[in-house]
Amino acid sequence: MKSGKQNGGACIELRDISKTFPGGHQALKKVSLTVRRGQTVLVIGPSGSGKSTLLRCICGLEEVDSGSIRLDGRELTGQPGLRDRMRPELGMVFQAFNLFPHLSVLENLTLAPIRVRGRKKAEAESLARELLLKVGLADKAGARPAQRSGGQQQRVALARALAMNPKVMLFDEPTSALDPEMIGEVLAVMRDLADEGSTMLVVTHEIGFAREAGDELIFMDEGEIVEQGRAPDFFERPRTERARLFLDKILY
Amino acid sequence: MNGSKKAAGLTAGLGWLITMFLLGLLLFKGALATGYGWDWARVPAFFFDWDRMRFGPLLKGLGVTCRLIAWSLLLTLFLGLATALARLLGGPVLAGLARLYLEIIRNTPLLVQLSVTYFIWGAVFDFSAFWAAVLALSLFEGAYLSEIFRSGFLAVDQGQWQAAWCLGLSTPDTFGKIILPQTAPMLWPPICSLVISLVKDSALASTIAVYELTKEARDLAAETFLSFELWLTIAGIYLSLNLLMSALGALLERRLGRL
Repeated sequence: MKSGKQNGGACIELRDISKTFPGGHQALKKVSLTVRRGQTVLVIGPSGSGKSTLLRCICGLEEVDSGSIRLDGRELTGQPGLRDRMRPELGMVFQAFNLFPHLSVLENLTLAPIRVRGRKKAEAESLARELLLKVGLADKAGARPAQRSGGQQQRVALARALAMNPKVMLFDEPTSALDPEMIGEVLAVMRDLADEGSTMLVVTHEIGFAREAGDELIFMDEGEIVEQGRAPDFFERPRTERARLFLDKILY
Repeated sequence: MNGSKKAAGLTAGLGWLITMFLLGLLLFKGALATGYGWDWARVPAFFFDWDRMRFGPLLKGLGVTCRLIAWSLLLTLFLGLATALARLLGGPVLAGLARLYLEIIRNTPLLVQLSVTYFIWGAVFDFSAFWAAVLALSLFEGAYLSEIFRSGFLAVDQGQWQAAWCLGLSTPDTFGKIILPQTAPMLWPPICSLVISLVKDSALASTIAVYELTKEARDLAAETFLSFELWLTIAGIYLSLNLLMSALGALLERRLGRL
């Protein structure tokens, strides 16, 4: 368990955000949540519970119907210009990696820093190499992403998001598309990040990771936050029937 | 490996020669049957007049055809891209307009579009037959090209758009650096087909008195009654022009494939 980090100011503040899809399915029902600077918050819950929609609403891939999203105290909803400028501040890691297949690993990492942040090429490349070293792929800079394993691709995607130096990292089930033997290498990098004090919001199905890596655990079901607290408390003493049912299913 | 490739090339070439020979034979026989008197000897002078040392009508016409194709191609690319982007990214109004343009152009004959462009718009806005032809051809081919672009852009995985969005890339960067490079190899073959269609469709400009290749040949045929010689000659010219385009396309396709 990490300590002394819970005192940071609010990085992301969600107040009563709701989202209904055109088909009529209400994915989020007045969800409120605060992620403090330096904190790692994990989100678990059955599929269809709105976890991924929550992340997609924060990073702007989906528009919320109502409610407020604040990043470092600044309101993002209803502010298209600000929302646009804040896109690179929210580093997203996707389930399917979504690396750019026509670019090399290094170019995947340098494109946005050069084009969006206006960094010099040499500067962006040296930062990219540093990040590749950090995720254990220093020797793969010249390779095409498709030539790498799933685990390596996801670590590249993680480095790509980090290269923008975002205020918060969002992970959307980062290990769900991986073969079992590759999950560990991605989780290890994420754990390092959390230990370094990165601000992270992680949607995951990895119960082992959820149990010990986060500062706070959130259990979602049917578009609502059902339980919220420290991970050990949740796993040992779930307070709600819905949480107990979920735990029964995943813990066999 | 190399030897078998060479052999395959030789076989293909031989096949070509035999086909061409048979086609020629068929034409010759057909002309004999209709009692047509061939007079090929007069044709070279239509290309170049050696006595007065100047270009004949066919070469002049070819020049106009090439200019027509070049300008049309440029405008077609612009219209196709703009229309596809309007449909994908423009709001409901822009997308609706793009759709209207596409449906009107794609579902009416080019011949009618040429006439309307020249005789009606040309009269209103006062442009020449040449520019009327450029405009009509570009509007026509641009409609088809927009569908090629649109299908290509849609074929790129949604995750690519999302990743580009989350990294903060601008829309032009997303298109130029992420989407276009991934679709270019896919888009290339249908674009080559479109260029070839454009070359052939340019012959219709003869109907609004643009003095390009076909118009020159028609006028010559009316004067000299060498109809078959002239039609076959310009068919040969269009064929050569398009084979050149195909070869160029294939060359560029290999380069795109290496991207």
